[in-house]
Amino acid sequence: MTNCERIELLRELCLAFGPTGCEHRVASLIKDKLEALGYESYLDRVGNLIVHIPCENAPRVMISAHTDEVGFIISEITESGYLKFRVLGGIDPRVLCGKHVTVETKSGDFVAGVIASKAIHHQTAEERKAVTPIKSMYIDIGANKKEDAESVVELGGCATFDSKFVQFGHENAFIKSKAIDDRLGCAEMIYVLEKIKGQSIPLDLWFCFTVREEIGLSGAQTAAQSIRPDYSIVIESTAVADLPDVPENSRVAKLGEGGAISLRDRSTIYDRGFVRMALALAESKGIPAQLKRYVSGGNDAGHIHKSGSGVRALAISAPSRYIHSPACVVSKNDYLSMGELLYTIITNFNEEEIKNA
Amino acid sequence: MLELLRKVSSAHGVSGFEKKAAETIRGLIADYTDEQYTDTLGNLIAVKRGNGQGRKVMLCAHMDEIGFMVTFIEEKGQLCIAPVGGISFAASSYDRVMSEKGVRGLIVPRGGVKPADYSADKFYIDIGAKNRKEAEKKVKIGDVFRFEADVVRLCGKRVCGHPLDDRIGCAILIEIAKALANEKINDDIYYVFSVQEEVGLRGSKTAAYAIAPELSLAYDVTATGDVPGDTPMACSLGDGAAIKIKDNSVICDPTLVEELVDIAKKEKIKYQLEILTYGGTDTASMQMARAGSRACALSVPSRYIHSGNEMLDLDDAIACVDLTVAYIKSIN
Amino acid sequence: MELKELIVSMASLMTVTGYESHDSERLDELIGGFFDESTTDALGNRIFIKRCGRENAPKILVDAHLDEIGMIVTDIKENGFLTVTNVGGVDTRILQASDVVIYGKEKIFGVIGSTPPHLQKPSEAKSLRAIGELLIDTGYPKEELEKIVRIGTPVGFEVKYVDLANGKIAGKGFDDKACAACAAEGIRRAAREDLAGDVYLMLSSREETTAVAGAATGAYAIDPDYAFVFDVNLGTTPDVPKSESVEVGGGVSLTVCPITDRRLTRMTAELAEKRGLKYQISVSGSGTGTNTPSIHLTGAGIPCVDAGLPLKSMHTCAESLDMADAECAAELIAAFITSKEIAEVFKR
Repeated sequence: MTNCERIELLRELCLAFGPTGCEHRVASLIKDKLEALGYESYLDRVGNLIVHIPCENAPRVMISAHTDEVGFIISEITESGYLKFRVLGGIDPRVLCGKHVTVETKSGDFVAGVIASKAIHHQTAEERKAVTPIKSMYIDIGANKKEDAESVVELGGCATFDSKFVQFGHENAFIKSKAIDDRLGCAEMIYVLEKIKGQSIPLDLWFCFTVREEIGLSGAQTAAQSIRPDYSIVIESTAVADLPDVPENSRVAKLGEGGAISLRDRSTIYDRGFVRMALALAESKGIPAQLKRYVSGGNDAGHIHKSGSGVRALAISAPSRYIHSPACVVSKNDYLSMGELLYTIITNFNEEEIKNA
Repeated sequence: MLELLRKVSSAHGVSGFEKKAAETIRGLIADYTDEQYTDTLGNLIAVKRGNGQGRKVMLCAHMDEIGFMVTFIEEKGQLCIAPVGGISFAASSYDRVMSEKGVRGLIVPRGGVKPADYSADKFYIDIGAKNRKEAEKKVKIGDVFRFEADVVRLCGKRVCGHPLDDRIGCAILIEIAKALANEKINDDIYYVFSVQEEVGLRGSKTAAYAIAPELSLAYDVTATGDVPGDTPMACSLGDGAAIKIKDNSVICDPTLVEELVDIAKKEKIKYQLEILTYGGTDTASMQMARAGSRACALSVPSRYIHSGNEMLDLDDAIACVDLTVAYIKSIN
Repeated sequence: MELKELIVSMASLMTVTGYESHDSERLDELIGGFFDESTTDALGNRIFIKRCGRENAPKILVDAHLDEIGMIVTDIKENGFLTVTNVGGVDTRILQASDVVIYGKEKIFGVIGSTPPHLQKPSEAKSLRAIGELLIDTGYPKEELEKIVRIGTPVGFEVKYVDLANGKIAGKGFDDKACAACAAEGIRRAAREDLAGDVYLMLSSREETTAVAGAATGAYAIDPDYAFVFDVNLGTTPDVPKSESVEVGGGVSLTVCPITDRRLTRMTAELAEKRGLKYQISVSGSGTGTNTPSIHLTGAGIPCVDAGLPLKSMHTCAESLDMADAECAAELIAAFITSKEIAEVFKR
């Protein structure tokens, strides 16, 4: 895959519709991509899409990224035809007002909507300064009344942000899109799968495209329970704040300096040997990588590393600004180099080194 | 510049009572202009005539200043006041003040009032009178007081004192008039020293209506963001003439802003760009007069505005003069 | 061009308050052909004139403002972040995670930053950041950015339009360019020989600022006999009282209030009835939040009818309107400028 093709792959994955609990479209898109590469994949009972590349008597490694994205679920259709909603995943109410959304219809199609709430002219001085609570917002799809809306959408239907995929900045070094968390991880895995095609690697490899990471009830958990891996590599996006108004010690990581390797987050203490091996490989191969310099967030590793009799975990995340919003921003170089790092780790895996650290 | 600023600052000119300021300024600009007159509201207008073919260009600085008006005299001789313009009471407590007639006093908060509760009705002026009777000999209800005028030099070209807002603008206009006095300019240049700016841009409104300029420039002070704790603002003392892009009353003509920037670059005159997220200036009333005029403002960055002790850098004021002179020459 | 396409094309123009002339040429391409002549005045008002061909004909002003809310750059920070301030009443709630366009020496894309929930302190969760505290991410190093952007560079919202159900559309800039488009279209539809006077379409500047500047100076220069002021009106949503809003899909609103001319308003309503055009009455106890207050006090005074296009989510990038209302508006304006009865009563 050329760099251009990799960007295109990311675009396609990011724009796919897959809020938590409603990931099947993303899974089937990925399944198609994998088929084109000559891989067979299967869906497990919760919806995780899994590719197994067997190798007997070799360390079992589970590589995972989640397919779901933050979004909305319709909880009420009002008399005048507006859709009240709940959020799927941690969305800051501050990024919602006035945004465009895509709403799933009863027939599995989509309609456009906007998140409306009262205009500034009707707001009191206090309301103008306050965060509008999600319960006061509603999605407007242009329906004239309840029956009108009900003929198109249904309770429990999902919605996501409708936001452009844009390459921007100096020399187009950055990418902005919805759902970069974690379609970027999915894209890295597809890239690595293409790259290792036909190679014989002395690892029992399980590539898992998991569901429901964003609500913490992780599909990765059941995948890990059934696969029972020895090692887990989670490919993620992590929230960073490399912004001028944030003190340097809490910026987490910096865009453009490579994938961020976690030492610790709120759900996992990562395996020290695994982390050291990854860092050493990055250095020796000249692949940019950085340490995540702040304890925040959590990901599928939280469930995976505690499954079975325990799993040595590593997480590599693309530093991402404004995560969980319609406008996540990542560095194109970080995206491109992370795939190389993952490939390098898989092809230079050294169990001794990890265990003896 | 400092001497000139001292002269124009010396004259009393609380909003609505600008006569003395007008007289002083008239004396200073008469030699550089063809005619001088005051209009109904008291604006002083000095005109340098062009060749009759040119534009009407209005340059405006306000000569009024903030102050206090006596509303009542207490039995014990203290003067109750109403503010004229936006007074910062926290900054002005215990400052010396002086009436138009030369009576001196102090502006003081009533006993027991916490700074957070400062407002006009919590303050009085103490002129040292024993009682109402003695006070009434010196002061009448309706008399106005100003902060004592005094301009002192600080480090380098920096000065502080009162009323730099906006006598610095007046001084700039006089310097411009001086520089252009012997130049052949096709345009009619109207130097307007406006009244009642501090109470709502009132004087410039009627002056601009009467003149109906095609091009307008205001000269005033602007806030800065260069001391700790300031509201963020990319404007600093000493960084040059501040070409106004926007304040709360006006969005300046973007092409005029461009033209001024270009001239400043070409003539190597120090400039900065100013966006003031509050406050208003005479620029607005000139822009809005009749069918409208292209308007902008050149500001002198100033700290502690309306405290009774503003601070600014004279080099910034000189840059305003140079920039205007270069611009007017360039369009003629 | 279909009316919807005209509305979207005009709403897509960059006309941030004070910088209305940015896409002037494109505006001329879109509607210039409907008129005999056009001018731009000192404040950036665009005035398009369609002559009736008779001497001493009354001057009919149709006003819709050209400007839209936006932002301007106040500072350039490390790593290519920009701080901005608003021009016009930008709804601060819509800003975080919005796509913007920075109109510097070249057009560049930017994103308004937001703090992800993972990195927020609990104390931050309840307050909205003031506009001056937000950062626009441009993806440029500071030195490169300074070659393109400077303090005062205007920033607008990224163009994005969608079709909603039942002929409704959503996007940015409908306030007030949807009205401008309807007005231009209405004037185009009116045959020259039917015009009741010379028609001046003023696409006025600077309506969205506290000082309503453009319309006042423009009206002063035109000095019309009477005026049709057309702006968007607040659409009814579940969280606002019906008495303070108008129904989207309910037709053009006509405002009855102390500053609009009652007779002119009534005659306009009668015109709508006669033509079978939907309209609704909107009531205010004081002035209007439109150009009417400035226009009606210009010179010796100008009788105004204040018409409104119902619009939901006003001042956001997801303003929505009903094309049926827009169609109504274009027809009503065509009827208004060809009404001999109105001209008879209101010509000077």
